[in-house]
Amino acid sequence: MNDQWTNRLSEYIDGELDSTERAALEAHLATCGQCYATLAELRQVVTRAKALPDTPPTTDLWPDIRARLTPGRRPEVSRDTTNVRRRFSFSVPQLLAASIALVLLSGGSVWLALQQRPTDTPVATPQPTTITPAATWTRSTDAAIADLQAVLVQNEKRLDTATVRIVRKNLAVIDRAIAEARIALRNDPGNAYLNLHLATTMRRKVELLRRVNDMAAARS
Amino acid sequence: MSRQVLEDTLTADSIAADSALAASGDATAFERLYRTHVARVHTLVRRMLDADEADDVTQDVFIRAWQKLSTFRGESAFGTWLHRLAVNVVLARRKRVGIERGRFINEEDPLDGVTSKRVTPELSMDFEEALASLPEGARQVFVLHDVEGYRHEEIARMLGVVPGTSKSQLHHARMALRRHLEQ
Repeated sequence: MNDQWTNRLSEYIDGELDSTERAALEAHLATCGQCYATLAELRQVVTRAKALPDTPPTTDLWPDIRARLTPGRRPEVSRDTTNVRRRFSFSVPQLLAASIALVLLSGGSVWLALQQRPTDTPVATPQPTTITPAATWTRSTDAAIADLQAVLVQNEKRLDTATVRIVRKNLAVIDRAIAEARIALRNDPGNAYLNLHLATTMRRKVELLRRVNDMAAARS
Repeated sequence: MSRQVLEDTLTADSIAADSALAASGDATAFERLYRTHVARVHTLVRRMLDADEADDVTQDVFIRAWQKLSTFRGESAFGTWLHRLAVNVVLARRKRVGIERGRFINEEDPLDGVTSKRVTPELSMDFEEALASLPEGARQVFVLHDVEGYRHEEIARMLGVVPGTSKSQLHHARMALRRHLEQ
């Protein structure tokens, strides 16, 4: 085996040789069956590495992790003027775009859910872990929303009028979507899409509130 | 919007929203993030360190994520942010346990550390075992480059070596692992 070239085979595979080196190596490969075979094996190694599966731990680590989360501590929400670091770049047009996207998403998912109601086909869900029973989910999210809205009341005075108007308009759109989802769920509480839609919409509201509060804190 | 696209959108939105909710202190949302990402994090940790450290370090990664969630800007996917954080925790661990830079560089022949047992049809498992038996430096470079997709320049910065060392370790690791592809 030609060590001079064998040691360059990985760089060749990764495209890290310059054109002169690459041409010289390719010329060598045309005459050296051993290097050619090694190159093929190395390529298989690279291919196999990319296909290695992820495997979960054999024991559930969550109980120990949960026990180590600081009890009762919430990661920081921007509540006062001491937090002046801007964590999100969030413009008025972006808020409006988010609103439009939310309306489209809301309409699409509710329409799809309602379209599927007459059939007996079970509705596939994206991931079991993303769907929590609505009663549980809304309790925790309602608490987060109430917390963030209280902060927003204090923060609104730091925002200009146009921004406040657009934020309120967005929140109204989200609230309408939440209300519609709740009504639909009353008629079809087991509908996976509606449950997920409600959860996603409520979380959108949390995200919007957080971002607005961050924006207000950054402007203070 | 097709059903699959809608499902993908909802899943991505759900993860993004969970990260925001967890950042506001919702441990239930954080548990959902844990369930979604634990396999990827645990696998990364297990491959980068010794298997018996994987559970503890994986826990450290998620604790760290909980503490740092307020710094997550949402500019990248949560999974990408968490993955990078996991790499940093692993590298900090590596540093803490005193794996000196000299030892990393002076590993003469990573092939010596790899068993040459006969490969069975259980190629994936054999490959994982062969990977685990590589010397630490070669194993970490291989995992970061070939499995996780980092570039040599990034790896060199993370490990405190020069890119040439990263390239050399990668080649040695590949040469060792190719034995475990033989039929």
